[in-house]
Amino acid sequence: MLRIGIIGCGKIADGHVEQIRAIGRGEVVAVCDREPLMAEQLAVRMNVPARYEDAAEMLRRERLDVVHIATPPDSHLFLAKMCFEAGCHVFMEKPFALTAPQARDILALAEAAGRKVGVNYLYNFETPGLELEDLVQRKALGEIVHLDTHYGYNLSGDYGLAVMTDPGHWVHRLPGKLFHNVLDHVLAKVVPFIEDDPEVQVLAFRRREPTGVALVDGMPDELRFMLRSGKITVCGNVSAHGRPVPHALRVVGTRDSVELDYTARTLVRSSAWSAPSSVGRVLIAWTQTRRLWANARRNVGRFRRHEFHYFQCMRVLLDRFYDAVEGRGPDPVPREQILRVCQIIDRIVDGVNASNPATPQEAA
Amino acid sequence: MKILITGAGGFLGKQIVRSLLRQGQTELLRLHFRSQAPEGFIESLQQEFPQARIEPVGANLLARGSFDAIFDGIDTVIHAAAGMRGAAADMFANTVIGSRNVFEACGRAGVRRIVLISSFAVFKTEQMKPGDVLDETIGMEPVGVERGPYGYAKTRQEYLLHEFRKQHGFETVVLRPGVIYGPGGGALSPRVGLKITNFVVSLGGKVLLPLTYVDNCADAIARATTHAPGGSVFPVVDDEVPTCKAYLQGYLKHVQKLRVLTVPAWAFRWGAAWLVRYHERSKGQLPAVFTPYIVRSMYTPIRYSNDALKRIGWTQRVSTEEGLQRTFQWLKGRLDKA
Repeated sequence: MLRIGIIGCGKIADGHVEQIRAIGRGEVVAVCDREPLMAEQLAVRMNVPARYEDAAEMLRRERLDVVHIATPPDSHLFLAKMCFEAGCHVFMEKPFALTAPQARDILALAEAAGRKVGVNYLYNFETPGLELEDLVQRKALGEIVHLDTHYGYNLSGDYGLAVMTDPGHWVHRLPGKLFHNVLDHVLAKVVPFIEDDPEVQVLAFRRREPTGVALVDGMPDELRFMLRSGKITVCGNVSAHGRPVPHALRVVGTRDSVELDYTARTLVRSSAWSAPSSVGRVLIAWTQTRRLWANARRNVGRFRRHEFHYFQCMRVLLDRFYDAVEGRGPDPVPREQILRVCQIIDRIVDGVNASNPATPQEAA
Repeated sequence: MKILITGAGGFLGKQIVRSLLRQGQTELLRLHFRSQAPEGFIESLQQEFPQARIEPVGANLLARGSFDAIFDGIDTVIHAAAGMRGAAADMFANTVIGSRNVFEACGRAGVRRIVLISSFAVFKTEQMKPGDVLDETIGMEPVGVERGPYGYAKTRQEYLLHEFRKQHGFETVVLRPGVIYGPGGGALSPRVGLKITNFVVSLGGKVLLPLTYVDNCADAIARATTHAPGGSVFPVVDDEVPTCKAYLQGYLKHVQKLRVLTVPAWAFRWGAAWLVRYHERSKGQLPAVFTPYIVRSMYTPIRYSNDALKRIGWTQRVSTEEGLQRTFQWLKGRLDKA
């Protein structure tokens, strides 16, 4: 059994502990948070034997194989370095790093230490994401032409309220603020299809009414971007106001197109207008209905097999990461894809600041 | 008595302010808000209580050591700010870490008295038998994890207060309200049932619902702030509380028509045990929101006493009938607007 420790005892840490236990390949032996009460609450609620407020002490005492880092990203480089020096593999919560140069440093440190580094790009391991991977490998979609990636968040929800009412929230320390914390999810799904250094165009603006608090009002909440990499284009939509909160991907190929709904866990292939005249058009909706129904049946099957947990995707990803740690498989998210995500985030953040000149003025 | 109220912009906090002023508080009353006061709140207080000395202050209670100034010149703190929603870790942070920061700052500022707004959830009621009476003599949960994230956070918060009392010698008063209701509050307590789309799963049945109308609860807090001896604990519940079934019937009649699925007590107990087994077998696919421990703690038909409050001179200002009428009317209005 792998000896696993967790640094950072916020809400996502619960998901890590639950999925590590569900996989059954490792044991969470210690948790750590520089706020001792947070380490206490996770250890008490989840029945973890040891808790620390000093990561160095945890690493020294616990002889860990793997450390999950679930702290804000401005601490990731420092903590990862400490873990690699202690001989541990690292599984990183997103955002992987504060900037692309920091991401490059983390990857280089892992390489130098001969340790694995993974990242929680969990949605690539949702069932529709895995089905898409299979379709692409079989070239069922032909050549990829275009991808539309949609991601939403609710500023009235718990996370949104915390960010909007607390100027000390760590999201305000990210160069890209609100967007920076979700762009990994938006981009991780599309980077397998594009090369490094795509062209980037960005539009960002604040749609909500001002609150009078400069730091909060300086944050745009709607983002659109376009990437072009050779013959492939990507459109991104990150929205705080669209309802229902979207989490979807459309992949357009030269042979076929698919729509993935990550909330409903469905992947539906498009239907061509193949039968003649208006009768043919009637059939299209029926074909789509049949395909959606097949998704529904598969999801019921997954539920019956206990494969429908909210974090089932994290479970799959972690299982593959532990395979990589034990030398039984490749990195579930290749290092070049992690770096590509971080590089594009930096470019988009630059674009957000350029397309939103009100930000520095209002913040001042 | 110079008083500061944390969470003064909340559902209960706003009424505590009014109760203190109605009770004759003319010395400094400093109101803490997370960012700013709700629109029009301060103005309405000044209009209603022209003699009041009100000072609004904003502070992020999670920013340890950053808000000592709000306690300057204060001798009594009513700590009502707490996390009411969100993930377990968030609820804990907003309740326990915020409280730790407040108690620390109180110690530095020389605050004499702390009045903590706790919850019924900290009472250890799992062992109580039908007909038993819950009063201030009932002990606390030893840890609180079995009562879910909210119960755990509130239990840890109270133990934290005890630790700081020993360290700083605070005079402490703890109020543990039952289900606080009123215009601006929630519609259906989990004690009554769960609303799922157009259905409501009725869980409480004939069990008494420990209601306290928000004005009555605030009166109790104001009264205890000025009259309760240090070290006292009060369950806060109104005089004539309805059964869960009666509350639900009132809700269905006056607010919203829903189909009701009634779960008998034996089926609820069996279902909770099944859910725990399924949760384990399925590796958490469904959360174990109801466990046999929670069912025994919250759905045993016990009775409630507010005699301790009456001994310090509290009386119920708004009758339960009137409170329910006002609440249902407000809930109906909100539903019609939506």
